[in-house]
Amino acid sequence: MKKIIATLVIALCVVGSAMAQEEEIDYARKQAIDSLALEKVRDLSKYIKIVGSKETPFSEANRVIDRAEELFMSDAEIGVSSLGSNKITYYRVRKYFEHLMRLNYDRVEIEWYNIEYVSDLQRQPDGTYVGVITIFQTFRGYDKEGNLTYKDTTKKDITVYVKRKETQIGGRTIGFWDVLLGDMRVKETTNR
Amino acid sequence: MKSKITTIMMVLLAAFITLGGTTSCKSKKRLAREAAEAEYKSKVEQAVKDLNAILDDETLWSLEEKEARVKTIKDWNLQNAEVDDLLFQVEKKLARERAQKEEEERNKQEAQSANATLERNFASIARSGSVSQANRTINETLGLFESPNVPVLIIINQSAGFNDYDRPTTIEKYLNYLKDQKISPNKVHEIKYNANGKINELELIKK
Repeated sequence: MKKIIATLVIALCVVGSAMAQEEEIDYARKQAIDSLALEKVRDLSKYIKIVGSKETPFSEANRVIDRAEELFMSDAEIGVSSLGSNKITYYRVRKYFEHLMRLNYDRVEIEWYNIEYVSDLQRQPDGTYVGVITIFQTFRGYDKEGNLTYKDTTKKDITVYVKRKETQIGGRTIGFWDVLLGDMRVKETTNR
Repeated sequence: MKSKITTIMMVLLAAFITLGGTTSCKSKKRLAREAAEAEYKSKVEQAVKDLNAILDDETLWSLEEKEARVKTIKDWNLQNAEVDDLLFQVEKKLARERAQKEEEERNKQEAQSANATLERNFASIARSGSVSQANRTINETLGLFESPNVPVLIIINQSAGFNDYDRPTTIEKYLNYLKDQKISPNKVHEIKYNANGKINELELIKK
């Protein structure tokens, strides 16, 4: 009996130690994950710019939408606001991009800036790291004479989820950090 | 009588000197021969020891040092059956090592050349002034790969011999990523080839 209890205690210690190690991520690794999530948001900003541009060929825009969709969780939504209304409309990612392609301007400029964490990545009980990144987006729409007909600046919060996953490549098990973007919520829209 | 004794003494002295000189000369020759034999024996022993050490990979010498050692031993011209046999085996072994080293160096140069080509193309795609120009370089680069679906792994961090990767992608998606983002943020870390010399796995690392 004593032997069984001793064995169980040792087994629990080993499992506990392994779990503690899994939780521990050193500073360099945490920095790398933080940067990776920020990079995904910057990637998204480029994709929005490409799809929004009227100069982008249709086939290219569709390819870029596919890539952009891969950045998001399957049920993620993107908020859209305008100065003329208090209403914020939330679209599924593909719908948002299709809406962006069809905007009724002759030229569109979209710039993202001040991309930074408002809530650092924190480890959740299931091992996923969750954080919030805020961005400022300036939207400019021009008519065919080149006149600026609409401009707004929107502050948006994007929830980011980072989870460690594994996959098989060339017979090897590769451990990777999967960054997925969640909802992109409108926080504030101004005419600045 | 006195004169006779003197003559006998002189003859004996001359004989002694002559005999003594001859003996001394013979002794010197013997010593020289013995020294030569000892030197030969020592060289044979040293040669056998060194050649066996090379054969059994028990030396820390570089290939060049081993080749130099073999040359020295051959220059001794020992004409010893055991040494000649060992020399034959060692020369065959060193020839194999030389061929392997040259192949490794050739592969290294080819890999460096492939790395340079890929990184040049990556930068070119990212800097392209137009979609069509970028697409041309993408198609050209895809020709180096087994298929557009060749996996691309991106190392985001290395610590304690452990790699952290980004989500794996494919070469086609990665090249388009460079075109879309207009930056080339990674450099080549490792390339794997199939039997036809096409790349079938690419590992990149953050610059």
